[in-house]
Amino acid sequence: MSEASIPDEVLSDSPPPAASLTPWLTIHLEHRFQSNGAGFHLHLAFSAYAQRTVVFGPSGSGKSSLLRAIAGLIKPDVATIQFHGTTVCNTIEVGGQQRIYIPAEKRRVGLVMQSPAVFPHLTVSGNVAFALHGQDRSAQKQKISQLLEIVEAESLAARWPRELSGGQLQRIAIARTLAAEPTILLLDEPFAALDAPSRQRISNNLHQWARERGIPVLTVTHNLEEVFAAGDEVLTMEEGRVMAQGTPERVLSMQRDRLLHALHAIPAPFPEKTSLPPESDRAV
Amino acid sequence: MDTVALLLTLRLALVTTGILLVLAVPLAYWLAFTGSRAKVLVQAVCALPIVLPPTVLGFYLLVALGPRTAFGRILTHFLGHPLAFSFAGLVVGSVIYSLPFAVQPLTAGFAAVDRSMLDAATTLGSGRWDRMRRVVLPLSRGSLLTASVLSFAHTIGEFGVVLMIGGNLPGATRTLSIALYDQVQDFQYAQANRTALFLLAICLVALMLLYSLRTESRPRSADLV
Repeated sequence: MSEASIPDEVLSDSPPPAASLTPWLTIHLEHRFQSNGAGFHLHLAFSAYAQRTVVFGPSGSGKSSLLRAIAGLIKPDVATIQFHGTTVCNTIEVGGQQRIYIPAEKRRVGLVMQSPAVFPHLTVSGNVAFALHGQDRSAQKQKISQLLEIVEAESLAARWPRELSGGQLQRIAIARTLAAEPTILLLDEPFAALDAPSRQRISNNLHQWARERGIPVLTVTHNLEEVFAAGDEVLTMEEGRVMAQGTPERVLSMQRDRLLHALHAIPAPFPEKTSLPPESDRAV
Repeated sequence: MDTVALLLTLRLALVTTGILLVLAVPLAYWLAFTGSRAKVLVQAVCALPIVLPPTVLGFYLLVALGPRTAFGRILTHFLGHPLAFSFAGLVVGSVIYSLPFAVQPLTAGFAAVDRSMLDAATTLGSGRWDRMRRVVLPLSRGSLLTASVLSFAHTIGEFGVVLMIGGNLPGATRTLSIALYDQVQDFQYAQANRTALFLLAICLVALMLLYSLRTESRPRSADLV
């Protein structure tokens, strides 16, 4: 695959960031893979500046694969990925640039996946303590308690994953991710199994935790409410491409205009009634 | 009952099982997760002892460990005695002969671990060996148990390889299965019956233990959410 195949950065409608401001994420990505038996082409480029960024798009648009590539769980065909200006992945060896691939375990990217993947052989405390391995016991205990409080799961500390509901498992997965002290937080539909009030409270707690530490959060969702609740900036994705980037209001209005425009292009289902020619012109 | 042969057999089975677990765990881990082209070759070599006549394996080992090969001479130099016709030689033969009985259940168990668990551990900062130790091995306890019991039981019952490499030296290489063969050759059918029953009982108890522990370790359907 050639270097030229990397797409140009999506033009953002939002005002350009100040020259000194470094995006927390810059990504140029080209990756072909098989998904549900069909070929899929992830082909995108963008920079993220907002502390809370949302990727919005329908199921199967490549949102989860994008997160997996950022986290290092997918090795892309062609890519340049930078966190706060530092390259973690560069597959192109041109202009004195070196190939770089920081493995997933060293990227310090927190990823909460759709499937909570809570370790069944550890209790809730054991799961949260997974990333605290080697730390002092009392410090671990204190940290576990703080993190479980953020996800409102303090009472579950001694329970086993098999005793928990889907929503409870997702809370534990979030607490476990925060325990690793990531420098970037990626959330893939993290609140899908939670009821609306819990989703609101835990999302607020989580974003507050991230804000206090200056950790940028990239949330993937196909839920419109979440776009407004969790995003200062939104990217829309379709079929492996970024279609638009900007504030939620602006991007969604652009999307609406695009949909309306598309609507005009649809041929009318019934042809308009054509009036008969005047009687004098009729053939006798 | 030939107690010397019994103790030797149990010692051989325990040492072989211990060595096999140390060797088979990293090998099975590699087989379960590698995308290497060499995988098929390694799988085939590991499975070879299942189909190969034990005497063929025993013959090649006898040649390889003997004084006519450079490898055999080096081993003899370091050990002070030839590996063939010694307990150490029996261990080498048993480890190779029982390798598939450890590698195959472990590979299947490791490969069955949910990939999302491994991805979660990776993003939590866990490297390859740390993932094996803290996620894959605990989630494959059943496979570890199967590999241990099968290796132990298979070593207890081996005959051809032991006879080829070890000969029939009482106290050094004469295992229970060889003692049984001798007893039949000497028309000591009562003794042979006791030895055979004992071997049968050990293998049956080992397999019953395996199945009961595996059933207990499986979550009950009522526990599943």
